[in-house]
Amino acid sequence: MTGAQLVLKVLQQHGIKHVFGYPGGAIMPIYDALYDSEVEHFLCRHEQGAAFSAVGYARSTNSVGVCMATSGPGATNLVTGLGDALLDSIPVVAITGQVFSSLMGTDAFQEMDVLGMSLAVTKHSFVVEDISELASTLHQAFELAQSGRPGPVLVDIPKDIQVGAVDFEPYPIPEKQIPVFEPDLVEQAKALIAAAKKPIFYVGGGVGMADSIEQLNALLDYTQIPAAATLKGLGTIDPSYPHYIGFMGMHGSKATNMAVQECDLLICTGARFDDRVTGKLDTFAPNAKVIHLDIDKAEFGKLRQPDVAIRGDFRELLPALAVKTDIAQWQAKCSALKTEHAWRYDAPGEGIYAPALLNQLSSKLPHDHVVSCDVGQHQMWVAQHMQFTSPRNHLTSGGAGTMGFGLPAAIGAQIARPDTMSVVVSGDGSFMMNVQELGTIKRFRLPIKIVLIDNQRLGMVKQWQELFFEERYSETNLSDNPDFLTLAKAFDIPSKTIHSKFDVEAGIDALINTDGPFLLHVAIDEKENVWPLVAPGKANHEMIEG
Amino acid sequence: MSHTFNIIAKQQPAMLERVLRVVRHRGFNLQSLNVADCTESGNVEIELTVSGVRPIETLQKQLDKLYDIAHLELTSAADAVAIRA
Repeated sequence: MTGAQLVLKVLQQHGIKHVFGYPGGAIMPIYDALYDSEVEHFLCRHEQGAAFSAVGYARSTNSVGVCMATSGPGATNLVTGLGDALLDSIPVVAITGQVFSSLMGTDAFQEMDVLGMSLAVTKHSFVVEDISELASTLHQAFELAQSGRPGPVLVDIPKDIQVGAVDFEPYPIPEKQIPVFEPDLVEQAKALIAAAKKPIFYVGGGVGMADSIEQLNALLDYTQIPAAATLKGLGTIDPSYPHYIGFMGMHGSKATNMAVQECDLLICTGARFDDRVTGKLDTFAPNAKVIHLDIDKAEFGKLRQPDVAIRGDFRELLPALAVKTDIAQWQAKCSALKTEHAWRYDAPGEGIYAPALLNQLSSKLPHDHVVSCDVGQHQMWVAQHMQFTSPRNHLTSGGAGTMGFGLPAAIGAQIARPDTMSVVVSGDGSFMMNVQELGTIKRFRLPIKIVLIDNQRLGMVKQWQELFFEERYSETNLSDNPDFLTLAKAFDIPSKTIHSKFDVEAGIDALINTDGPFLLHVAIDEKENVWPLVAPGKANHEMIEG
Repeated sequence: MSHTFNIIAKQQPAMLERVLRVVRHRGFNLQSLNVADCTESGNVEIELTVSGVRPIETLQKQLDKLYDIAHLELTSAADAVAIRA
């Protein structure tokens, strides 16, 4: 068989049924092989869309996503999606075509140093130099993407390797290696938990990615310790857990941040002390001892020195930490904070209050649904006001904060989980960043529901200009937006605009109940900001409440 | 404060660039670099001296994660002098 056919055989060996990509000169042999392959290819309308669809596919299933592109500009267009996957630890395998090996380094047409370019945006990357190494390189790519702390891996395949002849050999997929944790460290951690008067769990995306949601919730049930979630951790803690406090960080709830600031033991579980969580680092949970649990030991002591750090597989590590606590006063304090700072939806006026709309949308969606959002004010409103039953159901660009993420990530989720309703919540700024992916929705008749929250501004930047740049609104006015309904119509997507809070219910019903895709255009007041907020350089207990 | 790493790495495309990129990105400066190709084993021996104000363990852990690095040893500057003596 050819190298190109071998690529697809290896994909099948790893259980890959769907890939996202865009063809071009240097990857044509692989696209020719795809023509007869059982691997189904989804043509996106930009390679960045393909990368984000692979990310959405991976995140919504906790499995690997695959994207492909041609050399040169095809590969450069993947870079943003790979960087996004790196910062959020998402397993993605990217396959890029490269010019003939003999032309590499000659500035040939569409030749760029893709390996060199990939270094900063991947967990690892390969260029295949010999066809005899093609299969093993691809197998390594799949193993690396999914093992330890997951991440994106790129394989650059020159055209001569794709057209060369090679034998296919079966490859036994190796068992996953599970790191063994030290029992002494577990005993130290248990002693800290047992002694703590005000412990709190700080739950990140690592729990869901380690497939240990059940183990975490069992541990919470046993210990009854209050728990907070990061952006990527949302959906991990059972919403009915009585001591779940909520979303933490820059736009977290005041109750959560106040509790975390006061705790005497912080059990950081699959999280990494990101600056959007901690605020001013040396003021974060200042009186707390720290237990840090992660699969990546490089996170230990990177930003906050732990008292006990344990690297391990959470499915085994979390049950080992079960210890009874006696913290009734602290539980009551956290509950009181939660009641005192509960979200309110009684905004005055007839305009649409986006948090209320999203809260209402959340309660009306079917139990199993995916919400994929873009980046900005609407993203924080989604995190604050929608409820999730799994982190796989909340797709959000956390570490990278990449505008343009939402629409293509929702496409990936819709293809991965065709029976699940896939909802995009976007803003008028972000939506235009990968708006070409409406073409992918049209091509594959995907029933994706789009909520476009339009304040005719780059809202989050504008909010910071208002608060921190003396209301100098540089380049954030988008009042010349296109007519989004006309735009939707061009892609055969029915749509509706709502302006008044009295139209919200009918708008949401139209969105959910219309067969196929739908775009609900929500016009909101540009003065509406995201509250509360921890200003840059401030401590989390100094939240501004608007 | 300078620190020296002794590294054994796989001879792979961009391996050295990867190591140097991590050094720079994680906040350290390159002071010296010696590379010896061990053709028979397919490995490369690297002696890398860096300086920086961040804790050296943070760089050590990041370098240790690189797939191409087979073995990594951190020797403090003082120890390095002692070894040479």
